[in-house]
Amino acid sequence: MSRHNINRRGFLKLAGATGIAATAGVTGIPSPLSASAKKESAKGARFLKYDRGVHSPSFCEMCFWNCGVDVYTRDGIIHKLEGNKLNPNNRGHICAKGNAGIQSTYDPDRIQSPLIRTGKRGEGKFKKVSWDEAYQYVFDKLNPLVKKYGPETLATFMHGTGERYVHMFSVALGTPNITVPAYSQCMGSREMAWALTYGTGISGHETFDLANSKHMMIFGRNFAGAVQVREAEDFAEGLARGSKLTYIDPRQSESAVNATDWLQLNPGSDMALALGFIHVIIRDNLANMDFVRKYCYGYNELVEHIKQYTPEWASKKTGIDAKTIERIAWDFAKDAPNVVAVPPRRMTRYGNDTQTVRTIAILNALMGNWGVPGGIFIRTAVPLDLPKHEHPPATKARRADGVGEGEKYPFAPPSLGRTNGIYEATLKQKPYPIKAWLLYGTNPISHSSVGVNNLYDAMNNLDLIIAIDTQFSDTVMYADVVFPESTYLERDDAPYIQKDKVPFIALRRAAIKPIYDTKGCYDICKGIAEKFGLQKWFEHSPEHMIEQLLSSLSDEQKETLEKDGTLLFEDVDPYPGASGGPLKFATTTGKVQLYVKDLEEYYQKEGDNFAPMPTYIEAPQPKKDEFRMLFGRTPHHSHARTQNNWILLELQDDTPVWMSPKDAKYLGFKDGDMVRLINTKTGFKSHPEPIKVTERIKDGSVFIHHGFGHQTKAWTRGYNKGTSENNFISDGVDPVSGAAAFHNGFVKVVRA
Amino acid sequence: MKNINKKMKKDQNLAMVIVGDRCIGCDACYVACKTDWDVPALKEAFRTKVWEVEGKDQYGNPTIGFLPTLCNHCDNAPCVAVCPTGASFKRDEDGIVLVEPDMCIGCKACMVACPYDARYYNEHEQTVDKCTFCLPRISQGLDPACVTTCVGESRNFGDLNDPESNVSKLLKDATSVARLKEDEGTLPNVYYVTVNY
Repeated sequence: MSRHNINRRGFLKLAGATGIAATAGVTGIPSPLSASAKKESAKGARFLKYDRGVHSPSFCEMCFWNCGVDVYTRDGIIHKLEGNKLNPNNRGHICAKGNAGIQSTYDPDRIQSPLIRTGKRGEGKFKKVSWDEAYQYVFDKLNPLVKKYGPETLATFMHGTGERYVHMFSVALGTPNITVPAYSQCMGSREMAWALTYGTGISGHETFDLANSKHMMIFGRNFAGAVQVREAEDFAEGLARGSKLTYIDPRQSESAVNATDWLQLNPGSDMALALGFIHVIIRDNLANMDFVRKYCYGYNELVEHIKQYTPEWASKKTGIDAKTIERIAWDFAKDAPNVVAVPPRRMTRYGNDTQTVRTIAILNALMGNWGVPGGIFIRTAVPLDLPKHEHPPATKARRADGVGEGEKYPFAPPSLGRTNGIYEATLKQKPYPIKAWLLYGTNPISHSSVGVNNLYDAMNNLDLIIAIDTQFSDTVMYADVVFPESTYLERDDAPYIQKDKVPFIALRRAAIKPIYDTKGCYDICKGIAEKFGLQKWFEHSPEHMIEQLLSSLSDEQKETLEKDGTLLFEDVDPYPGASGGPLKFATTTGKVQLYVKDLEEYYQKEGDNFAPMPTYIEAPQPKKDEFRMLFGRTPHHSHARTQNNWILLELQDDTPVWMSPKDAKYLGFKDGDMVRLINTKTGFKSHPEPIKVTERIKDGSVFIHHGFGHQTKAWTRGYNKGTSENNFISDGVDPVSGAAAFHNGFVKVVRA
Repeated sequence: MKNINKKMKKDQNLAMVIVGDRCIGCDACYVACKTDWDVPALKEAFRTKVWEVEGKDQYGNPTIGFLPTLCNHCDNAPCVAVCPTGASFKRDEDGIVLVEPDMCIGCKACMVACPYDARYYNEHEQTVDKCTFCLPRISQGLDPACVTTCVGESRNFGDLNDPESNVSKLLKDATSVARLKEDEGTLPNVYYVTVNY
């Protein structure tokens, strides 16, 4: 049991120990009563004092979810973080990672000053420099590259609240190669599928109304284990109120705990299962025809198309009994429209990801759950007219990652780009030379999609790597110049303005002064921009943006926001579908697109991947004696960012390899045996890991948790703990979205 | 709720009521508790912990569940009984079991006596340490740290003597109630319930 492999006696196993304990206590120990008697009067008095300290409002940056946080300091030291009760992202609660934000801030392994590399790349030898020296270094190295190759030779990667400033610098400099890994390394295929169907994405703060649902049908989305707080709360609340839960995953994750049905399907066959459900729903006249007639495009085509996908066919592909598929389809439809079918969040799986989510989107549409309690709620923007800031004009230069009209990935959004495509362009130096990277809070070595060796080769092609980060990630160790960012507890930031079920604004005020010689991302980007004469785009500091916001509010609103840290705008209707209001869909047809006309042209050229109606695409299968490499989140860590946080490392510091009892027996492994994973394509071998033999993982697959195996020696606690899945995952691409496909990597497992 | 064996008379009968199936195993409680009370940076040092329990259902299918644990503030507390100095004691007014650090000689008899593994030895403070039901916080009108942060709202805290308290209502509405190791006669004050809302 990896998460609790501690030495403290497991009391669960020791029910009989009390008798022994009592005897030892009574007979074995002398009793110095006289010594303790004088202290008797003050006994327990110390437990009646609690100094909560000074409050400052913030929002969390331990992950992208940005829960509202109340920060409490005593004598200038942060003592405690608590969830902000008003903030809809978390309603007063924060997760283990959020609670551990303090430990990340007071971590002496942090980057403590600007640095310039002195040793070889990756060696970890840097010299401390002044801020101006670091800015000048960037100019002296980057400007000749821009002169020689054009500004597009700089590719930028960004993740975190300071993104806007990196974005601003990138656009002002004139590079089109701006990437937000949250697209291609995470949600891209899901958002693409939703947009093709509904004309809008699901967004980073998903629109699933779990708390009010009567049946949650969840395709491999681990609400309990990934812990984005509101969703985890809503998931628990929905279940407590009696919602059914059909949990679909080759692995029994934390979210399967209270499942009505856990369908342990064959990996990669989610689309077949969803097609089977749709077949039953249409065959047995279970669709919400009022909604379909009013709002859907292409129902008749779907009726014909779906005939081929019988439950028996779906059963062959998924390994789930046809009768079970029928029963669950009936059950799901029975509670419509207050039901929801949820696709995965990180939809970088089998390369059929966009079409898989298209299928799940259609399943929802047939239930008519748009804008209905328990289905999909509608978001509203914060109703404020804030001053518009001028932006530099975007370049028309061709992107290097195949995104754009007439390019290989015409549907992918240029505002987010394909991070995987930039890796590839840098590796091949095609279609044109990429000679510099600017990384903000991103760590390609731990989130690769081209194989780690290829990534090192790609970085070897770079003349300049600039990193802005709070800590020495594996990739920051390869940077030429490093800018230390203040943590979220040490800086003011631009106001957090969220379009949501109940839209809101949250404030982040620095709770303490920076502990080390660090700055916010705004100051860092402005410092770099000044060297290029681009400072005019950096007139609006975070403090200035907070002031602008506050001056646009009423006195009452202003007081609430400053005091409570959150301001809600509650006069909204997230359920227009239930109140009969007209629903609008920003698609080409203005309807929910069961059939997507926009894909027709590409379907003719490219085939089934671009089919206007989801057409089953088989995922590649492992050969004999090979296993599919699966990975996923642990509740105790955020991506690959928190594995040096001491308190989170206590909760998990290893990555046992999950394997089914059948496979373990075949290979002769017992639970706890040490094994190595071998990448069948590259031959890369992991260091020894214990095996966890469990029926919670499907035969033919192995699973490890994401985020471990760091090789950065600057992390004194997190170095070399566990294995990184990056060395074993596939480098596939979803042809529609252009996002990555990781789950077609195959490994052999050998005794260590 | 039947058969609560009330042996002690307390002004307040403080209790934790855990709605079992609302725990998602996120361990926010563990980190909030360690942070608030400066519990040392050791895996063995904690005041509360969530155990992941793997099992099988009646058909032999794998199951998982989560069991949050902490000091049960027993009405018949074995740790208090074995303490040679009186450092481990139970407050008459509300039933909270505490360890007074100035009186603890570090014999660890209480750690062995506790059937719930609720105690650890704090080397830095030279004392046995454990959950206080967050007495410092509740004395200021706040909820315990673990309850405050609990993502699934699994943990609930309050006074069972007050019929209007959240915990009393939960016990009243519960479809099942359990306490850990009741057969040991410890009369614990941490309840595990299921509720139909």
